[in-house]
Amino acid sequence: MRNEMKRQITRRLVIGYIIAQTIALAGASLSGCSGESAPVATDARAERPAIFPDYTGVTVPANIAPLNFRVDIPADEYHVRIGDRTYTGGATIRIKPKDWARLTRAHRGDSIPVEIMTRHGDAWTRWTSFPIYVSERPIDSRLVYRLIEPGYEKWHIVGLYQRDLESFEEKPIIRNDMTGYNCINCHSFRMNDPEQMMFHMRAAYGGTYIVQEGRISKLNTKTDETISHLTYPYWHPSGRYIVTSVNEIRQFFHAVKERKMEVYDLESDVVVYDTRGREILSKASFLSKSDFETFPAFSPDGEWLYYCTAPAQKMPENYDRIRYSICRVPFDAERGEIRFPADTLARADSLSYTFPRVSPDGRFLMYTETAYGQFPIWHTDAEIRMLDLRTRTQVDMTALNSSDTESYHSWSSGSDWVVFSTRRDNGLYTLPYICAIDEAGQPAKPFLVPREDPDEYDYLLYSYNIPELVRGEVTVSPYAIQEAARKNKAEQVRFK
Amino acid sequence: MGRSEPWVVNHTIVIWVLFVAGSVLFFGRNYGYYYCFLEQYMMFQTTPGYLHARWAEPGGMNEYVTEALSLLFTRPYGAAMVIASLLGGISACFYAYLRACRLRATMWLAWVPAYLFWLYPQESIAPLTAILLGLLTALLYTAIRATWVRYAAGFLALTATYFLSAPANLLLAALIAIYEARAGKGKARWAVAALSLAWATLLPLIALRTVYILPTREAYFSKYMCHPEYPVPPSLWVLGLSFPAIALALACLKERRTPTRKAAWRAIGPYAIVSLAMAYGLLYREDPLAQAYRYDYYARQGQWEAIADHARAHGVRDKDALIYLNLALSRTDRFTDELTRFPQIGEEGFIPHDPRSRLGLIEASEVAWQVGQVNAAQRFAFVGVLSAQRLVQPRLMKRLVETYLVTGEYRAAEKYIKLLESTPRYRAWASAQRPLLDSAVCARTDWVAAKRATLPITDNPFDLTKAFPSALAYLVDDHPDNRPAFEYAMGYLLLRKDLTTFMHYMRQRRDRGEAFPRLYQEAICLFFSSVRPDPEEYRSYKVDKAVHERLLRFLKVARSMPPAVLKEQFGDTYYYYAQFVPGPK
Repeated sequence: MRNEMKRQITRRLVIGYIIAQTIALAGASLSGCSGESAPVATDARAERPAIFPDYTGVTVPANIAPLNFRVDIPADEYHVRIGDRTYTGGATIRIKPKDWARLTRAHRGDSIPVEIMTRHGDAWTRWTSFPIYVSERPIDSRLVYRLIEPGYEKWHIVGLYQRDLESFEEKPIIRNDMTGYNCINCHSFRMNDPEQMMFHMRAAYGGTYIVQEGRISKLNTKTDETISHLTYPYWHPSGRYIVTSVNEIRQFFHAVKERKMEVYDLESDVVVYDTRGREILSKASFLSKSDFETFPAFSPDGEWLYYCTAPAQKMPENYDRIRYSICRVPFDAERGEIRFPADTLARADSLSYTFPRVSPDGRFLMYTETAYGQFPIWHTDAEIRMLDLRTRTQVDMTALNSSDTESYHSWSSGSDWVVFSTRRDNGLYTLPYICAIDEAGQPAKPFLVPREDPDEYDYLLYSYNIPELVRGEVTVSPYAIQEAARKNKAEQVRFK
Repeated sequence: MGRSEPWVVNHTIVIWVLFVAGSVLFFGRNYGYYYCFLEQYMMFQTTPGYLHARWAEPGGMNEYVTEALSLLFTRPYGAAMVIASLLGGISACFYAYLRACRLRATMWLAWVPAYLFWLYPQESIAPLTAILLGLLTALLYTAIRATWVRYAAGFLALTATYFLSAPANLLLAALIAIYEARAGKGKARWAVAALSLAWATLLPLIALRTVYILPTREAYFSKYMCHPEYPVPPSLWVLGLSFPAIALALACLKERRTPTRKAAWRAIGPYAIVSLAMAYGLLYREDPLAQAYRYDYYARQGQWEAIADHARAHGVRDKDALIYLNLALSRTDRFTDELTRFPQIGEEGFIPHDPRSRLGLIEASEVAWQVGQVNAAQRFAFVGVLSAQRLVQPRLMKRLVETYLVTGEYRAAEKYIKLLESTPRYRAWASAQRPLLDSAVCARTDWVAAKRATLPITDNPFDLTKAFPSALAYLVDDHPDNRPAFEYAMGYLLLRKDLTTFMHYMRQRRDRGEAFPRLYQEAICLFFSSVRPDPEEYRSYKVDKAVHERLLRFLKVARSMPPAVLKEQFGDTYYYYAQFVPGPK
């Protein structure tokens, strides 16, 4: 009896082992496994395989999340080799974070070779392999953006999110279903610092929200002297000032198929807000009726105030004739004053320039170029340009740009990466691409921020708006913002 | 076989069957088109990502089932069958639950909560599926005899129903509490009743701080029971609370003796109550926008003739129906023949002004598409999609595909094709459009070529819904052969009785040697007879002799003929409209 029991137990253990092995083998064959010998190719193609996102020849930071992708070639089976890892089965390649970390560690400063084979019937085709370059320079770990439907005159669900670039984790900072479906916009951080941020809410719980030292201030920023609430912001490196535009924004829709819509200002100025005194500083502001000023920014040393400006025109009649130059004026942070004359960096002779952003090392000025206006997201011609501020010469940005819209951009704290929004994938939804910028300012081929399932981009009905790189996690809780929105009374900003 | 038992009528089953059959009739007849309309605002997707997203939110799986069931809504009596089945299941489960609680259950009382759905039809069947799950789980709970096993199962069920089908957990907690209070044994039952209520109430708060980042309301009720941007409708509260309320009421009445009644009355009474309630529902509870939803359904199916036929037989009851009717007349080339046969209200009857509503955005997109203003059709479709509760509107996504194909934005078209391919209902249509992503194939496709032929050339900022005549004027100037745009423009002018501007266009048409439809001929006759008599110019227009003579007859008798007779004889003419029908303000 006893022996019978032992035999039974042994038999069960053996059967269990066989079943476990079978499951493990089946799983491995489905999801890919290492060490498997490559199939023998009967055909070789000279071109690189079509994959989505296009990670062929891109340069990535070593701390980026796995570059999962989908092979966009119809086939019965796929065999993909990434470094020393092999994946066999379906078209979607999901790399285990552990494997990816090992690969990027091993190939830091070098490239990971990727080889793709596809099977049609019994025949395997080998496609030209491609490298993924792994930079030694890490990128700021978090990307903050607004997700919004790329709509026209209406929004529905809007939210500010932070994405951990080292993993696939995405968390809301605040979503408008927690604040009465209002509009949340124009988030901005002080020098990539996740602890100092601001954003606006419009409609319900309207106000400008500033998060500093763990406290959330809610402000009413419309004054009698300014034409609107604060709009497009940029922090002074000291954290004391925020320069913003005040705009009377309008939009209209085109009838012809080549164009969709225009966003323009009837009037706009640039003002500097002092977070310490809770006042708008008239001595640091541009309040002229003869010119439109918008999209300001500070230099990283805080000594220059950059802005876009154009002679005031009757709008919307001249919507396609208004062109903005990029200028700068010295800013005295001690006195809270600007000085003239202005220095013109990009003169609007035949094109218009917007979104000036200086690299944190102060060397490069990145901006967006378009045929007219200052709101280029609906302009397919819009491209990103860069000026070397030491030599005042243009840097060739061909590698970064595409035939579709490139628009907003933001530097990483180390000046070696930029994230920018572009419509290159489908012409409609804006997606965030990251681009390496080397010491000479030369851009590498940019890559789309990876997602765990690349198909998610196909089904996503939101645009990534204002992507901003920050050095760490934004720790302010969505519930704290919700409570501040609901309970705090907006404090009136003064005009000094 | 031995002698058969005498047939005994099971009144419970008969009443249940009666109610289910009545529900099929009621929802099929009175709300069929309403639920067809609402089906457009759900989009059941078969991708793993979609399932994962539903898993990741409270009540998401309930919504997943709801959307799967809603696929049947577009079939004849599909919504009615689904809703009746759910209501039947709910009333049967509730009846069984009441009996398990040892309450004096009757079927007619058990279907009262389900009947409330007749009185207060909801925008989605999500509340019904959640209630059914809550009742089924409660019924299973009552079937467990081992006391501590039952308690443990109850705790797990409350947690599971929350994550799968919130707010079913709240209903389940109330039913568990009532069951334990009525049928449980020992002192622990009171603690269990209190704990189940406390756990169901606290669980969303715990989840809110640990699993989800959500508004409190959505943590409790999920975002699918009703539109999350509007307050929870009181009817939803009534619906949900009616179950514990009836159970509690029965529990209170249990000890009271029912007055002795005749057996016949006891048998007839429930039938009388059920019959009266159902007759009331069938006769008096109808959706006020039933005609508009019916026309929307026809339009969605491309049954434009059906709209015109229905309007001829039943008249037009509201503005939305009129917009669809005028669109149907344009689609079937009968705009000029029949425009004045229906009561018109001017511009608002052609296109909604600055649309914000679901129907309005669909209508605006349809009219813009018909008149060739493709950008506007795209814009309204886009806004219709993004403003939908679930951010999906497959019918308008189809329109987006069409507009992007026409404008040659193939990558944007492909995005929506791929989305639609992930749905069982739209997969075939979307796959059929895929070949058009090849620009050469697209250019050769008849309907694309036809739309491209009338694309606006001259840019203008006029919004079709806010500046209808100006926007149309640009379309007509760019393409005089854009028939729908021209008809809408002339229709607008004729309804406003602006014959001077109308004649400006007629002169252009005359110079091109075009023939005029009857409506325009009548307007031309009227212009030359009463606005600017000019026999020589009048002769340059090709006006049928019959039209001319009929006008003469009208002018002769217009003042003397009794109004009813005049209307009967000349009510279909433009000059009757111009003379006797007040124009739009």
